[in-house]
Amino acid sequence: MLSIKNLHASVEGKEILKGINLEIKAGEVHAIMGPNGSGKSTLSQVLAGNEAFEVTSGEVTLNGENLLDLETEERAREGIFLAFQYPVEIPGVSNLQFLRTAVNAMRAHKGEPEMNAAEFMKLAKEVSKQVDLDPAFLKRGVNEGFSGGEKKRNEIMQALLLQPKLAILDETDSGLDIDALQVVSKGVNALRAEDRAILMVTHYQRLLNHIVPDHVHVLAGGKIVKSGGRELALELEERGYGWLGIKDEETADSSAN
Amino acid sequence: MKPAPTLSTAFLRPAGQSLPEPLLALRKQRGTALVDMPLPTRKTENWKYSSKYLKLTDDMAISLPADGKAGSSLAVPGYKVVFLNGVMMPEASEYPDLDGISIQSFGDLSDEEATELADRLDSTLDNKAVQMARLNSARFEDGLLIRLKPDAVLDQPLFIVHEVTASASGSAFPRVFVDAGRNSQITLVEEYISSGSETVMVNTVTEFNVAEGANITSVRLNMEGENVQHIGATGVRQQRSSRFESHCVGFGGPLRRHDLQVRLEGEGAECKLNGVVVTQGKQHYDNHTNIEHVAAHCNSEETYRNIAADQSHAVFNGRIHIHQDAQKSNADMNNKNLLLSNGAEIDTKPELEIYADDVKCAHGATIGQLDEISLFYLVSRGIGRREANVLLTMAFINELVEQIPVEAVRETAQTRLNQFFDQTFEEA
Repeated sequence: MLSIKNLHASVEGKEILKGINLEIKAGEVHAIMGPNGSGKSTLSQVLAGNEAFEVTSGEVTLNGENLLDLETEERAREGIFLAFQYPVEIPGVSNLQFLRTAVNAMRAHKGEPEMNAAEFMKLAKEVSKQVDLDPAFLKRGVNEGFSGGEKKRNEIMQALLLQPKLAILDETDSGLDIDALQVVSKGVNALRAEDRAILMVTHYQRLLNHIVPDHVHVLAGGKIVKSGGRELALELEERGYGWLGIKDEETADSSAN
Repeated sequence: MKPAPTLSTAFLRPAGQSLPEPLLALRKQRGTALVDMPLPTRKTENWKYSSKYLKLTDDMAISLPADGKAGSSLAVPGYKVVFLNGVMMPEASEYPDLDGISIQSFGDLSDEEATELADRLDSTLDNKAVQMARLNSARFEDGLLIRLKPDAVLDQPLFIVHEVTASASGSAFPRVFVDAGRNSQITLVEEYISSGSETVMVNTVTEFNVAEGANITSVRLNMEGENVQHIGATGVRQQRSSRFESHCVGFGGPLRRHDLQVRLEGEGAECKLNGVVVTQGKQHYDNHTNIEHVAAHCNSEETYRNIAADQSHAVFNGRIHIHQDAQKSNADMNNKNLLLSNGAEIDTKPELEIYADDVKCAHGATIGQLDEISLFYLVSRGIGRREANVLLTMAFINELVEQIPVEAVRETAQTRLNQFFDQTFEEA
């Protein structure tokens, strides 16, 4: 599914990712953990194609296709989905319009006919129930005035609508109370499928109680320093990052300060 | 020192004499007063950004003849009055005889009616601030007088289609006067369109007298061609507890200028002024608004949005003047601007003059570009760059477009906006 080889990336001339290697197979759930500033979010953004980040070397392929050659929208159409850590508010574009435009862009890419407004409304209402969002929110501006939890649920709703091959969840648990965490987790678990992979980026272990990963990786200083199974996350929870010889402030960001 | 340029005398010769005598006399008197009228220059504060676009050559002084056929047959719902080069075309107009509402061309007025009108023309505008409206008063060939008796309600929007035919150089001087009686209601749509390609000027004045409790909605849609200079003015006087709502949607040209002046003269009057301007190429658009809070307890709310692409230039100047006795005034002015290219320019100037001490007055103006993070968010969902740009640009004005209370206008504007998007955003 996804293969990352020796990936280096920098932002504003400063190297954040310093040689990432990662293989994710269809059907697997991977978690990437690490202290603040370790490069977790950078990795998510680079995979999604944010041009603010420059890939300086390395290779990323999705089902054998070179991902780094593709524009952001092409990556999305090939099946990459990023649930944003901070979903963007876009007043003036209704959620309904946004979601339908996205779904129809995907359908056009696959050679499927557009969904009309009525068909889409029906689908959107069903999916919104899966993440416990009041369908009334469809009429509101994209994420406009949403609570933190609503924004995260909207991200998961988009994943459910767009049915990606690889869903990357960037700190999807941050800012959620226990109830919202359960709703979001339920949504993510609904995404789990034989032909789909999930990459969760998180600072804390607690999300992993709800969405059990097959593999856990620890990212520090722009590199994966340890990989293991579910138990690695539990160990981190108990012993902290210091146990791996990582100081929490020994990070890509703070080392520059 | 070089003397300031003055209006060529060629511009002081109206063609038609088919108006009632009192209006001919008024026009003549206004014309005499215009001899040696200085033309706006760069140093004229309220024409600072626009004077260089104003081209008044002698060949444009001719009144365009109203002998053509009103060409474009817009599918207009509701009632319709068609003006061709400033002269009403009765055969193209359709409106029923309505109880309490009279709709007449100036040419059809009795001497008595014309005398009454002549006394009131220009009474809503501060002619010092709106110099070019004076030219219209000296040159109008016809006009539309709409009178609503107390409590009269027009059940459908009235469209006034102002078409200018530019098969030769010249000018047209459309004129509208609305007298809305107590508690009357009307929605008026003014649509400005053109045919032909010669250089022409359209110089308009529309006036609204809004009596106590009346409720007026004015929609103005500027869609003339690249050969048309449009210099228009709208004056509004509002009495106690009246409401005036304005929706201006304009697309650029070599020069587009609209002055909108509202005087809140009776307590409890309120106005809401919305505006959307879109410019591209080398177009220029200048909106000047002025709200006079004369009486106490009045509300004004103003929201204008400019979108400028390519090397175009948009100007917004919004003045709010709160008079000394206008206590408990509530004024809110907001102007946001979107630059779609590095070569585009937008100038915005909010002006507040407040002489009362117990008022609420807020203003805000911003100029920005499309937000990169929003764009990334949209394309990360598989939405194409072009479509993402369109969504974000529409988002900037959606709120105002949706508020236009006439569906046919929203549709016409949207069609024109789609053309603009096609020309501005290329497919990636």
